[in-house]
Amino acid sequence: MIVVAFIVLVLMLGTYVLLDGYDLGVGIVHLFVARTDSERAATIASIGPFWNGNEVWLIAAGGALFGFFPLVYASAFSGFYLPFIVVLWLLMFRGIALELRGHIANELWYRFFDVTFALASGLLALLFGVALGNVVRGVPLGRSHYFEGTFTFLLNPYSVGVGLLAVAALALHGAAWIAMRVDGPAAERASRAVRIVSPIVAVLAAAITYATFHVRSPWPNLLAMPWIALAPLASCGGLFGVIATREQPGRTFAASTLFLAGMLASAAATLFPYLLPGFPSADGGLSIYTIPASPNVLATMLPVVIAGLAIVGGYRAFIAGRFARGRFPTV
Amino acid sequence: MGAALTADRIQFAFTIMFHYLFPIGTMGLAPFVAWYTLRAARTHDATYDRAAQFWAKIFAVNFAIGVVTGIPMEFQFGTNWALFSARSGAVVGQPLAMEGVFAFFLESVFLGVFLYGRRYVSPTLHAASAVLVWIGAWMSGFFIVAVDAWMQHPVGYTLASDGRIQLESLAAVLLSPFAWWQYLHAITGAVLTGGFLVAGIGAYYLLSRRQEPYGRLFVQTGVSVAFAFSILAIFPTGDRNGANVTEYQPAKLAAMEGLFHSTYGAPLDIIGMPDSKTQTLIDPIAVPDMLSFLAYGNFNTAVKGIASYAPNDRPPVAVTYYAYHIMVGLGMLFLGLSTLAIVCWRFRGFDRSRGLLWMLMLAMPFPYIANEAGWVTSEVGRQPWIIYGLMRTAAGASSNVAATETIFTIAGFVGMYALLGLLFMLLVMREVGIGPEGENAGIALAQAAP
Repeated sequence: MIVVAFIVLVLMLGTYVLLDGYDLGVGIVHLFVARTDSERAATIASIGPFWNGNEVWLIAAGGALFGFFPLVYASAFSGFYLPFIVVLWLLMFRGIALELRGHIANELWYRFFDVTFALASGLLALLFGVALGNVVRGVPLGRSHYFEGTFTFLLNPYSVGVGLLAVAALALHGAAWIAMRVDGPAAERASRAVRIVSPIVAVLAAAITYATFHVRSPWPNLLAMPWIALAPLASCGGLFGVIATREQPGRTFAASTLFLAGMLASAAATLFPYLLPGFPSADGGLSIYTIPASPNVLATMLPVVIAGLAIVGGYRAFIAGRFARGRFPTV
Repeated sequence: MGAALTADRIQFAFTIMFHYLFPIGTMGLAPFVAWYTLRAARTHDATYDRAAQFWAKIFAVNFAIGVVTGIPMEFQFGTNWALFSARSGAVVGQPLAMEGVFAFFLESVFLGVFLYGRRYVSPTLHAASAVLVWIGAWMSGFFIVAVDAWMQHPVGYTLASDGRIQLESLAAVLLSPFAWWQYLHAITGAVLTGGFLVAGIGAYYLLSRRQEPYGRLFVQTGVSVAFAFSILAIFPTGDRNGANVTEYQPAKLAAMEGLFHSTYGAPLDIIGMPDSKTQTLIDPIAVPDMLSFLAYGNFNTAVKGIASYAPNDRPPVAVTYYAYHIMVGLGMLFLGLSTLAIVCWRFRGFDRSRGLLWMLMLAMPFPYIANEAGWVTSEVGRQPWIIYGLMRTAAGASSNVAATETIFTIAGFVGMYALLGLLFMLLVMREVGIGPEGENAGIALAQAAP
């Protein structure tokens, strides 16, 4: 049962990264690929109806983490107080930029929010990557499971590397989205961006995978559950797909999605059963077996959350299908 | 510890009070958007359609700022109230997760459909999406109030041997009568605010002799709703809330009424200034025996005063007392003003009642004050408990976040919210300036639509 809670949580966080990933990525690349006002407007409009719903996955995953594993929620959020508040402020700035940009037709107003959107998106991708890197690497936790390290501890080479990979991978994802959903010169530049960024992503991904074997060896889990090797294989397949499908933007986006999903699944498979491993040894960390929520919580909440997500998935797919009929032209 | 706790409380109070201004707007305006949309679908009258689109844009600005300022609330449970979260997450986390899964998705997806989707979806689905946004907004409010109500009156839990709170019955948490009356009162307050907003903007159009058909429509819908919900705010929702407080939180009742000493035939105080030092009410104007009657249905029953509680179990009297009296006083004012508006409408017509229109326009901020004052009564009156009778507020704050860290983030929030507040006012005033008839009324929408 508790394992199912882990899987549901990973799925929710993963869905968040895949969905909000493309609009974060649009933020990272849009200053470069969309040059004129109308190209920018079309690019922003292509995520306008979706970004908010995408971000809700983060909120929902936060709620699920809170409910399923309260101690992890409390430990992580208070232990990393300032980084979390900075993430929060960036999320807020990004939301303001996207929502308020279209309300006043003025070039300076647009420019201000475009740059805000780009900076906030890029920094968020970086911080999310650094956070994931630290979670995989482990952090020193005290006896009562609260963080006992310093800010500089979090900025270690491995985690910063994961942060850079996150920026590059989401830039790729966002560029693939623009190539698929926007017409005109912006789409062409986005396709070119995909071609430029994908080798960088490949190199960074290979380096991080290599480093991961030194930071937290996946071997124990890999030997216990050999089928998890599918995850890294999927991400390799996705990356080859990105490179092989240059002329078909829809497929490039699908391949990029597969790549991200594979990378995240690999990270989750490496971490299992830990949610926040200790450092230098994972033992002192928080796993799903360290004071999990009461069994009753899982018995009541899992069906509710799963049913709720099924409903959401249904109407979201339906709506996305309706919207997908059109591309966003640059008028 | 003391300084950190104070900083945590100030930050939460500031961010929640600023945040709540916007859910009042979304929960209060959603029914108007849905109503005008349904009228438009039924009558094919373009006036209703433009009215719906106009209020949907105001709603959208409220929604955007509401979402942006809502994220810090969920974050703060973990960042500043870690001990509370670790102990009570099994219960508190459930409604929060359900809010995300059931309400946020519904509201955000269908708001997207309503604002951007006209060209993609059938007219029926477009109209239905306004109703789904309404349902989403109101569900979201319910799950949040369910969390607060549980902190006010915990039910459906058991205590583990290590003191952690375990969920016994989610149904008991969600179906608690305490939660439902509190929720209905909060929703009533929001719709009342929506009514006064719609009427106030309508009054502005009539007074400035612009877009008068819309002005008339808005004042009519607004005052009708405001009148009905002014009554509902007092009875039954306000009354039932008072009964729940009387039964489960008598110390809060004493603080609300400024009753220091236990009294047989306690008076209902209308005006007066409580002084905790001397434990007296300065210059009171009171109705004799009335509090005993309202609380217990008998003019002679004893009501417990603040002094009968141990000093460390007493809520702050002055804040609770003033907040409660401001809420009730404004509630009476709303009933009076909306009644007057209905009378003028019936007997003179709005065009000849410019004084009334002025009052309606200037009344717009007051329902916000009343809503906030109600929450201050509820939350400050709950002190010194974070979970009533179970966990003290002082025991819930993060032990590993220093006061200076929180002071820094408070400064950040204050700066950011000042900017957000200005942007909100700018955008809403701009939409009102363009109005439902305005030629480029759909600029944000036109830009987004392919």
